[in-house]
Amino acid sequence: MTLLRVPPPLPRVVDLKRTYDAIVVGSGAAGGMAAHVLTSHGLDVLLLEAGKQVDTTAELKSLEWPYDHPRRGDMPYTSHALRGAEYALRKPPYAPKDSPWKTVQSYVQGWSGSDYSKNILVDEKEHPYTGTSYAWVRARVLGGKTNIWGRLALRLSDYDFKGKSHDGWGEDWPISYADIEPYYDKVDLYLGISGHPEGLAHLPDSKFQRATRLNAAEVRLRQSMAKSGKVLTPYRAGVTTDGLKHNKFRSRCFGRGACNRRAGGCDIHAAFDSPTGLIYPALETGHLIVRTGSIAREITVDPATGKARGVSFVDAATGTTMEARARVVVVGASTLESARLLLNSKSAAHPNGIGNSSGHVGHNFCEHVMGPGVDGFVKDLVGKPRTLDDGRPGGFYVPRFRNLKDKQKDFLRGYGFEGSSGTGMFPGASRAPGFGAAYKKSVREYDGATIGMGGFGEVLSRYENAVSVDPEVKDKWGVPVLRFDFKFGENEKKMAADMANTAKEIFDEAGIEVVDHDRKILTEGWSIHELGTARMGNDPKTSVLTQHQQSHDVKNLFVVDGSSHVSASCQNPTWTIMALAWRSCDYLADELRKGNL
Amino acid sequence: MTVTRRDALKLAAVAAATPLLPRGMAEAAEATAASTAGKTAAAAAGRFFSAPEMALLDELVEIIIPADAHSGGARAAGVAGYIDGRLAQYDPAIPILKADRERWKAGLATVDALARETSGKTFLESSPAEQTALLERIAKPLTEAEIPTEEPEERRQPAAEKPETVGQRFFVELKSWTARGYYTSKVGIHDEMEYKGNRAILEFSGTDVATLPPVRPPQD
Repeated sequence: MTLLRVPPPLPRVVDLKRTYDAIVVGSGAAGGMAAHVLTSHGLDVLLLEAGKQVDTTAELKSLEWPYDHPRRGDMPYTSHALRGAEYALRKPPYAPKDSPWKTVQSYVQGWSGSDYSKNILVDEKEHPYTGTSYAWVRARVLGGKTNIWGRLALRLSDYDFKGKSHDGWGEDWPISYADIEPYYDKVDLYLGISGHPEGLAHLPDSKFQRATRLNAAEVRLRQSMAKSGKVLTPYRAGVTTDGLKHNKFRSRCFGRGACNRRAGGCDIHAAFDSPTGLIYPALETGHLIVRTGSIAREITVDPATGKARGVSFVDAATGTTMEARARVVVVGASTLESARLLLNSKSAAHPNGIGNSSGHVGHNFCEHVMGPGVDGFVKDLVGKPRTLDDGRPGGFYVPRFRNLKDKQKDFLRGYGFEGSSGTGMFPGASRAPGFGAAYKKSVREYDGATIGMGGFGEVLSRYENAVSVDPEVKDKWGVPVLRFDFKFGENEKKMAADMANTAKEIFDEAGIEVVDHDRKILTEGWSIHELGTARMGNDPKTSVLTQHQQSHDVKNLFVVDGSSHVSASCQNPTWTIMALAWRSCDYLADELRKGNL
Repeated sequence: MTVTRRDALKLAAVAAATPLLPRGMAEAAEATAASTAGKTAAAAAGRFFSAPEMALLDELVEIIIPADAHSGGARAAGVAGYIDGRLAQYDPAIPILKADRERWKAGLATVDALARETSGKTFLESSPAEQTALLERIAKPLTEAEIPTEEPEERRQPAAEKPETVGQRFFVELKSWTARGYYTSKVGIHDEMEYKGNRAILEFSGTDVATLPPVRPPQD
């Protein structure tokens, strides 16, 4: 059925006397890509990952039936998943040290199948943060959040890269679509993406493998939406549906339909994850050392030149701090962790944190606003023979349709809808009313007729939305934590209202009976799409990085994750993070060869 | 169907929207246990619930999801055992879990208290028609004001509630856990829902979007 190979053992012995070509901090989409590209150029790379290596192939057990699990897939009952209300009504830190729970994890662990992802997400008790309410989801393991990501893999367009030119808000990116397009192509072909070309200027097509199919409810919705020029397209999933001959660690998707059982993870690695997609292949070059359990505390500086000298890190097991050295430091620790690392790296040469002469590190923090949406059912599908609708890595996507040629009077930018429909392993049983034989029958008959979608909207990049380092609170390893100062603004609220109204209109027009209409915005952070805390730009006074994600201040420092994004767009960011990291690391390798760093 | 972040939130919210524990109900639970002990001696005790409580729970879950011509019900699926086993694993040193446990005992006691108040008999002694009538009473949706808040535990204000409202709140929880136990069981997944997934398939089911007309957005 599948030809999964055992992951190679991680060569983790680090020579602290040696100067590596590059140290990469973080092993998710950004760090994994950096390690992969740099080693492919023959550079010797040390990859530092704060978390453990978790064997997700064994951990995720996607074919296990719920009744074969002692708690039907739930994590031990001594662990607590934060609830929506806890985020909204409290301020962080969300898990006091004296919490009676053995571990406290983010809201993602409140989903079904939490036992399978419990070793991937962090324990909030060990990883506090302070400030405004924020649902911060973190995965400290090899591969980071790519082990559990939602897999929606979208491109950005010049509507995003040149947003300011389009509507005057924020800043344009220092690149245009033409600059990144060849790298999107490379990512598509190397990692695999499933989808259907729609020919849209605002959501460019990828080099797609076989698309998933639409079920009857989705076909009906697509055809209804087409009348007003809105598109419903099969979920563009970062999943290989036709296989990847060049990667022996990943299997093609064989539609076994367990994708909805837990927080995303794919144990056959048809869905992209950084370890099997990038890191294991990079290990085979012989140029990569991966040291897990290595918590980067600060980027060290050569006092003579002001350039980065290496990374000081804490060994998670022993608490010992050590320093590894390199010619170049590449940070890909996630948007917020990278900002934290830069801000924690204070020295005489860089008193506000390394790379922060602009004062913009931690600022212009943006993401996606979500919450509004609709759920309903298609009446004439009630009681029809059941189909296998979860034998697909995703449902559907509705690309942005606002503020393209039109101009909304209430808000700038746009939003898209993610949706799903039809049957899964578990019916939406709790929504059917009553009890008894009629209840049971209605659960059975309505299950295949259900359809729902929810919006993801661009949160405007604003200087005042920021993270900084808390002057007092430290994490379990003594590293100062982040303090949030982040709030949705009027634009987000008005956009969310339009999202809610439009979602209902779309369903009404398609003759889909709406049974649940959400208007509420979820707590900041819910989208898990944090972006923009070290943005790129041409002006070193208002940006942190160049178009190649190179620090304006420190030539041998690169930050290759979502922190570099100038605006959030409304498209999910992972594919763009990887395309940019690839582009920047090609440039980095070239510059290093030329002796320019 | 893929559970989106939004869907998943809803599932979690259902599980989280648990009713509050009214004061004094734990004592009522003990009274019920004592009064029904003799009549249901045949039922085995659970790991958490007493034998009479198990007998009552088993009857309740079967009424909520009964056997029918299509498949077995909650009894055949072992739902009472699932709920009992789950609560047995709850560590009473954790206040929220302790409260959950007490609320379940109190909920069962309330069902019996309401039955006695109506017919002078326990729930299990009542006729099927009386049992259905009682469940219909507590299956009435709660008013907006009665829906338990999602406030963090320490901010909640336990209020003295009418047994009727306590019953309604218990029903929400009972139904939610019955559905969870049933639709994650062998009977629920294979016999009732006839789920065809969780195995390799060669081709996705559905319509190939390439066979549908392309969409032309207005800007083109």
